[in-house]
Amino acid sequence: MSISEAMQSAARDVLASGQVQRVIGYEVGPHGRVRPAIIDRPEEAERLVWSADCTHNLTVYLQRALNGENGRASHEAATPPTRVAIVVKPCDSRAINVLLAEHQFSREQVFAIGMACEGIRQGAPASVPEATLQARCLRCRERVPVVQDVLLGEPPSALPEALPDEALAHVRGMPPAERAAFWLSQFDRCIRCYACRQACPMCNCPTCLFEQEDALWVGMRIAPSEKRTFHLGRALHLAGRCVGCNECERVCPMGIPIGLLNRHLAETVESLYGHRAGMQPVLSPVTGMLSAEESAP
Amino acid sequence: MKTLSRENLNLWLDGLAAQQVLIAPHLEAQGVFYRPVQRAQEIAWEAGRPVLSAKEFLFPPSERLLKVEKRGPDIRLEASPSAAPQVIFGLRPCDARGIRVLDAAFVDTPPIDPQYASRRENTLLVGLACRSMGASCFCTAVGLAPDDPRDMDVMFSDRGATLAVQALTPRGEALIANLALVEEPGEVAPASRREVGGLPTAEAWKESYSDARWAKHGERCLSCRLCAYVCPTCRCYDVRDEALPSPPGEAHFERLRTWDSCTREGYRRTAGGHNPRAASGSRLRNRLLCKFVYYPHQYGPAACTGCGRCLDACPVNLDLLEIGGALQEAAQ
Amino acid sequence: MYEPKVIGFLCTWCSYTGADSAGTSRLKTPWNLRAVRVPCSGRVAPELILRAFDQGADGVLVLGCHIGECHYDSGNHRAAKRIPLLLSILEFAGMQPERLRLDWVSASEGDRYARIVSEFVDALRPLGPNTWRISGAAPRADAAIGVPLAAAELSGGAPCP
Repeated sequence: MSISEAMQSAARDVLASGQVQRVIGYEVGPHGRVRPAIIDRPEEAERLVWSADCTHNLTVYLQRALNGENGRASHEAATPPTRVAIVVKPCDSRAINVLLAEHQFSREQVFAIGMACEGIRQGAPASVPEATLQARCLRCRERVPVVQDVLLGEPPSALPEALPDEALAHVRGMPPAERAAFWLSQFDRCIRCYACRQACPMCNCPTCLFEQEDALWVGMRIAPSEKRTFHLGRALHLAGRCVGCNECERVCPMGIPIGLLNRHLAETVESLYGHRAGMQPVLSPVTGMLSAEESAP
Repeated sequence: MKTLSRENLNLWLDGLAAQQVLIAPHLEAQGVFYRPVQRAQEIAWEAGRPVLSAKEFLFPPSERLLKVEKRGPDIRLEASPSAAPQVIFGLRPCDARGIRVLDAAFVDTPPIDPQYASRRENTLLVGLACRSMGASCFCTAVGLAPDDPRDMDVMFSDRGATLAVQALTPRGEALIANLALVEEPGEVAPASRREVGGLPTAEAWKESYSDARWAKHGERCLSCRLCAYVCPTCRCYDVRDEALPSPPGEAHFERLRTWDSCTREGYRRTAGGHNPRAASGSRLRNRLLCKFVYYPHQYGPAACTGCGRCLDACPVNLDLLEIGGALQEAAQ
Repeated sequence: MYEPKVIGFLCTWCSYTGADSAGTSRLKTPWNLRAVRVPCSGRVAPELILRAFDQGADGVLVLGCHIGECHYDSGNHRAAKRIPLLLSILEFAGMQPERLRLDWVSASEGDRYARIVSEFVDALRPLGPNTWRISGAAPRADAAIGVPLAAAELSGGAPCP
């Protein structure tokens, strides 16, 4: 049985038995592009696939699926499902832990179909078969989900060596003036479409601070100063919470290396607090009190 | 047909760039974009459709509408400066159509938008025909063609060593009046086109309002706005007043306008807090019906030029051709 | 001669009172600091500091109560957690880390207040004006997305060392 078939079978079972009312997975759309699929009935399970183009982090749909927000075209209330199944790669599964720690939903509400992942191709969701793996996959330290109710695929017998983050090292190695100019030229291209924020499972504030109407924090202008503040501020809000799925960078239409900001802070948080987002359902120490071992400046 | 040698074209473009802003497709690390260029050699000739449309040069992502300075009881208003002359070269027919569609709302229908109108008056559209259609292009589905010259001031068609030229408007004729054009026999070979069907009629879109499957279509929408921002015709905007640093005793502020999109979750939220389009399916439906029903009803043209950018940009592969096709099937 | 503009976020209960104490003791304190009084150093959101830099501050000093003495119990813990991260990302984005400092001053430590502010301003002066701010009142009327900014628009003053 191929992994896709195993996935379809698992989805069919949990839907038919009533364990879950909804399954969030992947399907292939027109033009051969892989895309998220949200199904409610066992017959629809045959749409689901698993491939090296399944790049999306589906946990972005979890909260609204559990709130009954999905699948509405009008404002009449829908009955929210009690439980939702979701296909998660190792990186995606860490997002579940972060959201659990933040009480966005409870563990019982999620049935995690975990995938032992061999990496996602560049150019996904529609890449050529020969395409190399995405850089974030080459840096992956997990390969097997940290949250799962069922595991599909073969876990690796030994964890491969995670490649170092060359892009991050390169930017860190720039002298300050060059780095400042580098980032400004990146932010200059930003069109403030907020696709990075919308694709991120952890960006779930009902009203984003950077879009507040009183413009107290940052103005609405689509100009370098405001855009820089948005990106730096968003990275700060994700410190200790970002799981490195890199969806923000993938969806950016202007090719801005947003992931660098998040990875830099993830390393800072790990070195300061020994915390890696999403390995356990615990809050990031960034928002807590100083521990006995930590000292103030 | 009239033709121009490539060498003369480059010289002419260099001259244009020296006198005013010349905007043309330009290759950057992340793709091809319409950008101001200084020399013809900066132009990306062989590129496909640029990542973003050309609307930003008439309708910028953000701009100041006016500045207000209050000194005691006196209030002084300062309108934004009028636009500098610009020529957009290498414009694709879908993007030129996008500008014409925006004209219908901003200029042709009162009240006239002064910022857009001022830029529009100072802009010349010089097109370059596409030789073929890209994989996600569907201009033929909306009555356009990859070499359609109708919305341009001047249209070029690349024939290799020379380019065919035609002027479509009096301003276009004036623009190319001094070019060393060579009369050649024959006609310009038409671009290779692919017929794309599948778009419902305006009536059919309208009838689909109560189709329950809008909810399903909108389920995976992230409300990210990419479709609206890359679209040549989407033109929703937000206006806010923001304080400026002011000398003591004075209050200065500016009125800003920035791009917005009806797909944004809070777009339709009213002052009382009610949000009639809280559901993503309703926002998706609104955006597509605006393009194919509401906009033509109010302003004339349908607000879609078949450029296909939304299909490429959408992170979750929402495809208006697929949705349109599904709605048509349901209707039958 | 260049004098740095420093924005100081002083918490009501400790550092602001400490600053008062420096004043009543007639201790010499640099005038460069413009005080912003906040209820607690924990209230100083990173976005406030970013805004101060965006608007032209050469340096930002955040002074709160000593750990264990916060009027609100753990507000200064928040500052202790957030500001090092803000420093980290600012440095990554190319700003000199000497321009942002978090420290603790109690209500009676007027001399400590004067010393910290003097040290901070003295360390800022040789760095020159902060080039973080992107000057220019209004975007150009014909500005397109991603048009490379001229060098003059990028720097707020003297070039970054």
